[in-house]
Order: sequence, then C-alpha cells, then structure tokens
Amino acid sequence: MTVSRVPSATRNAAYQQLVAQRNAFTLTMTLTFLVLYFLLPVLAGYNKPLMAQKVLGNVTFGYVLAFAEFIMGWVMAYIYVVKARTFDRLAQEARA
Amino acid sequence: MTFLLAAMIVAVTLAVTFWASKRNTSAGDFYVAGGRISASQNGIAIAGDYMSAASFLGITGLIALNGYDGFMYSVGWFIAYLTVLFIVAEPLRNLGKYTLADMLVYRLKDPRVRTYAAVSTIVISTFYMIAQVVGAGSLISLLSRGAISADLAIPLVGVLMIIYVVVGGMLATTWVQIIKAMLLMFATIVMTVLILNRFGWSFSNLLGQVEAKNGAEFLGAGVKYKNPIDLISLCLALVLGTAGLPHILVRFFTVPTAQDARKSVVWAMALIGAFYVMTAFMGNAANALLGKDAIEAANKAGNMAAPLLAENLFGGAGTLGGEFGLAFVTAVAFATILAVVAGLTISASTSFTHDIYNGVLKGGQASEKDQFRVARLATVAVGVAAILLGLAAKTQNVAFLVALAFALAASANLPVILFTLFWRRFNATGAMWGIVGGILFTLLLIAISPNIMKIDPDTLTTGRHLIQANAIFPLENPGLISIPAGFLFAYLGTLIGARRHTPEDDRIFEDMQFRAYTGAGVDGTVAAHD
Repeated sequence: MTVSRVPSATRNAAYQQLVAQRNAFTLTMTLTFLVLYFLLPVLAGYNKPLMAQKVLGNVTFGYVLAFAEFIMGWVMAYIYVVKARTFDRLAQEARA
Repeated sequence: MTFLLAAMIVAVTLAVTFWASKRNTSAGDFYVAGGRISASQNGIAIAGDYMSAASFLGITGLIALNGYDGFMYSVGWFIAYLTVLFIVAEPLRNLGKYTLADMLVYRLKDPRVRTYAAVSTIVISTFYMIAQVVGAGSLISLLSRGAISADLAIPLVGVLMIIYVVVGGMLATTWVQIIKAMLLMFATIVMTVLILNRFGWSFSNLLGQVEAKNGAEFLGAGVKYKNPIDLISLCLALVLGTAGLPHILVRFFTVPTAQDARKSVVWAMALIGAFYVMTAFMGNAANALLGKDAIEAANKAGNMAAPLLAENLFGGAGTLGGEFGLAFVTAVAFATILAVVAGLTISASTSFTHDIYNGVLKGGQASEKDQFRVARLATVAVGVAAILLGLAAKTQNVAFLVALAFALAASANLPVILFTLFWRRFNATGAMWGIVGGILFTLLLIAISPNIMKIDPDTLTTGRHLIQANAIFPLENPGLISIPAGFLFAYLGTLIGARRHTPEDDRIFEDMQFRAYTGAGVDGTVAAHD
C-alpha cells in the first residue's frame, strides 16, 4: 500500500483519457437508467389509466413498460461490456 | 416424495461441502475461496444469492394475489444490478481484498473506519438473516404441511448452514449457490413452458383469463400500492440498496480480476433477468389456474402459489405427476433458503474475523491459522445467534426486514462507497458519520413506521406489530428520506473532520483512483494472497 509510484502515473495520457471517458460514461449511463427506471413507479403511482391501457391484445401498457425495462437493462449491460474493452485497453496502457 | 427430493438435494450439497473442505485450508480460502472462482461460476452464485425464497415464492404469490403490482418488485430487483455493474463491482475488486472495509481503509487510512464498516456489514446481514430464518421456519412447516414445525425447521436450517460454511468455506458456499440457482432456473423454465403450452403460447390469453377472474384492475397498477410516494421510496431502496449489500459485495472478491467481476455481473443479470421475467408468467398463471381464494386458503401471504401451481401444471392434485411437481418445487425452495442463509453467514463471519478480530484487535498481525480458526468459530456463533433470533422472532411480522436491509445498505453503505471513490475531500470522519448516521436514522424511521407501529385486531396471534399504536412516520420503506440523509451525514462528517487539505491527501486519493481504474497491483489472484 505504498503511494510512491503514483504521481508519474497520474500524468500519463492514457490514464487521463481513461478517467475522463469512464467518469463521463458512468454518469451518463447511471442517470439515463435511473430516469427510465423511475418512469415505472411514477406512472404506476400517478397515471394508473395509462398503465391499465391495453396495447397488444390483453397485454397492458404497464406490462409492456415493465418488459421494456428488462430489455433496457440487458442492452445497457451490453453497451457497457463493449465500451469496457476501450477502458481495459486504456487501463493497460496506463499501467505500462 | 418431498422429503426424498429435499434429502437428495441436501446430500448433494453436503458431498460438495466435503469435497470443498479439502481446498479450504487457509483464511483466504475460507473468506473468498482464494479468489479463484471463475466469472461464470461467480455470476451464477450471485444470481443464487439474490433469487431467495422471497423472490421465488414471495413474488409469485404477490403477483397471484395483487396482479401487476407484484411484478414491479421483479423489475426493481433486476435493474438494481446496473448500479452494481456501472459503479461498484470493478473498483471494489481492485481496491479490496476480502471485505468492503478493505476498500474504505485503502483510501481513508484510518483503522476506525474498518470497525464501523464491519459493524454495518454485520448489522445488515443480521437483519437480512432474521428475515430468512423466520421465513424458513414458516415456509418449511407450510411446505411440509405441518410435518416439520417452525421450532424444528429453524434449528435444522441453522445447523446445515453451519456445516456448509464451517467445513467448506466460501468454495462450498459458492457451489451450494450454483446448484440451487440451476435447480431454481430449471424449475422456473419448465413451469413457464408448461404455462405457455396451457395458454396457447400467448401471454395475452393468460392475462385475458386473469382479467375474466379478477377484473381489469389486475392488469394495471394500484391493487397493492395505493400511495405513490411509498412505491417510489421502495423502488429507490431496491435500485440503490443492492450495491451496498455486504453478501453481494463479498462475491466480487472471489474472482481474480475486475474484468471477471464485470463478467460475473453480466452473467448474473442474464439469469436474474430471465428469472424475474418468468415470475410474470408464474404469478398470473397461479391466479388463473388456482384462483385467488385457493392460494389465500393455503397461506395468506401467497407463499404457496408457486408449489401449488407446480402441482397443477404437472397433472393436478392426487396424480403422480402433480405430487412430483409439488415435491420438486418444494425441495428447490428449501435449497434456496439454505443457500441464501449460508451466503449471509459467510459475509458476516468474514467481516468479523478479517476486520474486527484481525484488523482491529490484532492490528493485522493474526496468523493465517488463527484467522481460519476464529472465522469458523465466528460462523458457529453467527449460526447459533441466527437460530436463537429466528426462534425469538418467529411470531413477529418480519417480512419488512428484507426491505429494511436494502434501505440500510442504500443509506449507510452506498453514500460512503460513492464518496470514497469519487470525492477528493472525503475523509474518515465523513465515513464514520455516514455509516453510523445512516444506520441509526434508518432504524429510527423504521421504528416509528407502520412496519413496527400499527394497531392489530386482538384476534391476530401471529405476525403482530411490536408497538400497538398509530405510526408516526407514514412510509413503509424509508429510502426516500433515509438515502438522502445518509449522503447528508457523510457530507457533514467530512466538513466537521476537515483539516487543511495537503498534497499527501491528494496523493492518497490519486493512488486510490489509479488502482480503482486500472487495477494496478491486483493482477491475477495476487491480491487474494499478498
């Protein structure tokens, strides 16, 4: 747990790029999923007629939205996995 | 037949435990299986830790009795993993060795933080465990149709769990989770296929029958949650709490690298998501095929919906197939309870041994052998405490304890984790204020909420509320107030503890961030053994 090797490391360009990209990505993705997720309880609380509206046969808007949240979760996880390849590459350069 | 199948599952898990015992020879093996679990194994085990009896029996029952509102639980529990994936999993793996406290101390360099973080882990795990153990007592007596009473079931679960953890350590605990997760997925998939077959491969048809039986409101929101603020508060605690739950966090120390931690969350999200999507089919089918009255007659909370549904799908009551379906699902539910309790126990005893015994009492100088011995003693102590608390609380209404564990994790642990990772001026005083303030304030809000304070009719003998008076705080789940309060406590503590910001502070922060972002110094399993 020594702190000696760090000052030079923080000046390397790959690391600066990693921190900037990663922070921007994390913040954007987190805010996006929180807003999209909270659509569900907010609409369930304040717009019950919309949630009970049938859109596909007997399947209501509420169920469509809930299933869409699952797809959103998987898609965002996939986007992150793809993006993380860049992060891994930058991390490797930063360590070198 | 139920006993036979349950006994077979127990026999398999015990065999795995004795196999694992040969590789369970040091403290590092006990705590985190030496950091040698693979990403896919860990992902399945995370899913196993998460898909508790509360989700399998509880959510199926909630949807069967309340329609759409029950399904909202499923969504929140799944989406919560995005918080874990984006923010917590990888830095935690890079900064910690065995526990959450490792990560906080790595940055904050103050041994007192270790004590507070360990206490928080033990408090949260204990609440979660009481809920699981009490639930186990009533579920097993329910599932065995009264043949095994709660007084017998609680010690039985406690003793089996102690054997898994003491003998097999984290490796056995992980494999028990994997076995249980695969059985549970298998049972759920088979039931879903049978349901779809029964309803002409159409979810719309299924919902049509639910509507015909219960009215249109069952397909929309509002049957269970009348107060929108309460619902939003619950969702906030669910989506932020998972990222602070100690028994989930400890799983990221069992894999070698941050990349494996990431992959395990993705594996877990695939399984957990598929499982929770299928709860919509199971819950609605239970309602359509069995009817609300029959489910409530078996158990008021709806916990029998899934086993009874299996009986119906496999041929109905009285048939051989029906009996097998009921027995299989019951045995899977039993395995689920055992596995989740074992996972909670190991996170509590690791925290006690690594953080309090070795970190604080022995100043980090305890030998591997001593730590290994103490960890197993701590497990027995945790197990015995769980049995005693479970027996003491068995007539209380404890369902809220799981939601409370989530609220505590989101209010006490998450603010401190986020500030540690991202706030340059954060300090040890802020961490201690955040943890203690978060825990005490959440407990206070719960104590004066309708979970504890409610006037029951005199005829109610089980599930009574502790304080027979009207609630002071209106929300069932305190997250909406307690989570911002947790951040505020950590912020205020930081201001109070602030001294002049030195270049040394900057260096410590940058060192931490460099390691968190790049994994420098934690390649392979080195960190688990250094």
